[in-house]
Amino acid sequence: MADGRIALTAHLLRRAGFGATREELEEAAARDYEAVVEDLLHPERFPEVDEDVMGRYFGWDITTLGAAPWLYRMANTRRPLQEKMALFWHHVFATAYSKSEHPVTLNRQIDTFRRVGMSDLPTILLELSRDPAMIFWLDNNENHRGEPNENYGRELLELFSMGVGNYTEQDLKMAARAFTGWTFTQPIPLYPHGHYQSSFVYDPEAHDDSEKSFLGETGRLTGEDIIDIIARQPATPRFIARHLYNFFVADEPQVPAWSVEPPRDPDAIDAMTAAYFESGFEMRSVLRVLFNSDSFKNARHRKVKSPAELVTGILKLVGTHRFPQPGFEAYAEATKMMGQELLNPPTVEGWHTGKEWIDGGTLNERVNFAVNEVAPDKPGVQSFIAGLTSGKTSLPPDEMVERSLDLAGPVAVGKETRAGLTRFAETSGGLSFATEEESSLSTAKAARMLQLVVASREYQLA
Amino acid sequence: MPRPHGLLRAGFPYLKTIGMRRVTNTPVDVAIDGDEVVYVLGRAGEITKLSMEDDILGVIAGGGSDEGKFTWPVSIALDRDENLVVSDEALNRITTLTKDGEVVRTWGDPGSAEGQLDRPAGVAPDAEGHVYVADTMNHRIQKFTADGEYILGWGRHGSAEGELDMPWGLAVGDEGSVYAADWRNDRVQKFTPEGDFVFALGAGGSGEGQFRRPAGVTTDSDGDIYVADTGNNRVQQFSEERRYVDRFIGDATLSKSAREYMLSNAKPNRLREMAVLEPQKRLRNPRSVKLDAKGRMFIPDYMSFRVQVYQKEVIPLGPSGIIPPLRSPTLQVT
Repeated sequence: MADGRIALTAHLLRRAGFGATREELEEAAARDYEAVVEDLLHPERFPEVDEDVMGRYFGWDITTLGAAPWLYRMANTRRPLQEKMALFWHHVFATAYSKSEHPVTLNRQIDTFRRVGMSDLPTILLELSRDPAMIFWLDNNENHRGEPNENYGRELLELFSMGVGNYTEQDLKMAARAFTGWTFTQPIPLYPHGHYQSSFVYDPEAHDDSEKSFLGETGRLTGEDIIDIIARQPATPRFIARHLYNFFVADEPQVPAWSVEPPRDPDAIDAMTAAYFESGFEMRSVLRVLFNSDSFKNARHRKVKSPAELVTGILKLVGTHRFPQPGFEAYAEATKMMGQELLNPPTVEGWHTGKEWIDGGTLNERVNFAVNEVAPDKPGVQSFIAGLTSGKTSLPPDEMVERSLDLAGPVAVGKETRAGLTRFAETSGGLSFATEEESSLSTAKAARMLQLVVASREYQLA
Repeated sequence: MPRPHGLLRAGFPYLKTIGMRRVTNTPVDVAIDGDEVVYVLGRAGEITKLSMEDDILGVIAGGGSDEGKFTWPVSIALDRDENLVVSDEALNRITTLTKDGEVVRTWGDPGSAEGQLDRPAGVAPDAEGHVYVADTMNHRIQKFTADGEYILGWGRHGSAEGELDMPWGLAVGDEGSVYAADWRNDRVQKFTPEGDFVFALGAGGSGEGQFRRPAGVTTDSDGDIYVADTGNNRVQQFSEERRYVDRFIGDATLSKSAREYMLSNAKPNRLREMAVLEPQKRLRNPRSVKLDAKGRMFIPDYMSFRVQVYQKEVIPLGPSGIIPPLRSPTLQVT
């Protein structure tokens, strides 16, 4: 199989999912690229994560806020794009535990993203507007006729759909009024018997049913009307497409700068915008254009991995936690230490991504985490070592470097990293499995080589 | 003990709730001794001793992997010496504790060979002092001496009669039969003490007599079979002949500890006044069911951090109190 196919497929599975084992990668690379994309776009073709097993072993644990089970899903799902889109919408519609301390509604919100994340945008925005976790996060439960609270209306336009500069302050006020009365049922409180769900409820008494003008349309507009109007605006797909580009293709500036800095790839944004309107606002169609575009295919290693991507990718590489085991909370803790506490983003803007994931502290966390996970007794590391030699009894230093970089990703490295890896390979004298003693020594050397690869600067890039 | 000729099933009313969040967190199983002490096993490893009046009598064990601690405990039962036998599916270990938490013995080796364990779940001591263990990931049931010496085992992965798919709860009937909650096959199977298949009960679904991932099973002196139908959030009751009798979906009231807590917390009291309270009565993921000698049924209500208790009311009948079994149903009542 051509190396290019492997590298391209690995790129797709890293971006549209959470990486792949070498076996999964080779199987996917043997198929047409477009067919692999279609499978990603149609999660219903594959079974869901075994929720019965998750429930049996992980149970329901408030201390993890659902972040650990979610990471487990990311690492084990056979519907990777569905899960990746749930993470994407969590980045965009960032809702945090810190305010509500109500994990069951937050988990429900992620379930909603999982369920409708690739459907049409009006459906997604409608579900979002009816989501109790979001309603509480942006105070729409306090949005009453005559006493509007504009938080949700503001963020719906500014951060969730159109972006600054595409509407007026008056539009914003009208949007807020249209969502008056959109609230949720009071859940039974935590004590003495645990959390209970809440659900959306429309309170007609609190709704402002008067005439409103919004983006040039006038009438007794409701929240549904506002969403329909938003979905038809040219600014909307351009804004969502830029989010998608930033999440899936290459790092963009942070969102507040988008009103002044143009997108780095306007053609990609145009193509996604066209697909949006042609398909009737459908995200699946937009994603199809995205993943099949040259701009995507050529964007390898141009994004900094998010902590969730790094952690799940390493888990795939080392081949552990394919079934629930105690201690998985440590992986949620690891992403938190790297700056991404799932279900608890820092603000409504979500996480600042790209190079902002990296500082002295978080880089240390990333490298230490990756290196510590690579241990010779782990199944994925053993497969890596077996794959290095492919049945041969020895491997010279230069091949040791090439094969390691290939099997760990493939990872494309610069001169400096390659020189460091080569130095190690030459100093260690390559690998030999001719005798038991040599075999033991070479196993340790191969694992060390893999540790050096995952500790590299380039491994931090998706 | 011989069964009565028949039963007048007078009722099975809800009796009370004991425990609450922070007192009995994520309860996975219970055991009740002759002094009416209820041992509530929490998933985090602690065993809380409660009186029937909901007083805390002590907490033993706890989370961890040291001897006497638990990482992922599943099942608790009293053996004939009135010690507590506890399984831990993370440590592949069976621990026997005194009621005060002193370790009597521990045993269990991970693996799939005879006598080894891979995620042990249900434990059920018999009257001779042996212990049956549901060896979940080996899809079998094994019988050991109290010290952990292997005696016999049966079962393999599958869904045919006698085969198992990730078995969970276990019970030994008063005549020595073994009942297994065949979790992933959505059924309960009954075996002889030697492991011969007797019958299967139930199928996947949410109707009467159907199960959604049943976790717990027990029997009582009337021969009735009780199944913690975890995924359907209920317990179902069957007669010894597998006839569906009743179901329990939860009727909880606030326990004594819960009332005391709420009386000093003004905000949640207001929130409860704004909420629909009906769901709070219901069972959420009950993972086990046990009956004591007085016919009280204890259901660890896993997601609601409490134990719901019901009282079985039956009157034994002699031959003059109930006519012989009929071959067919009838509309004629006299």
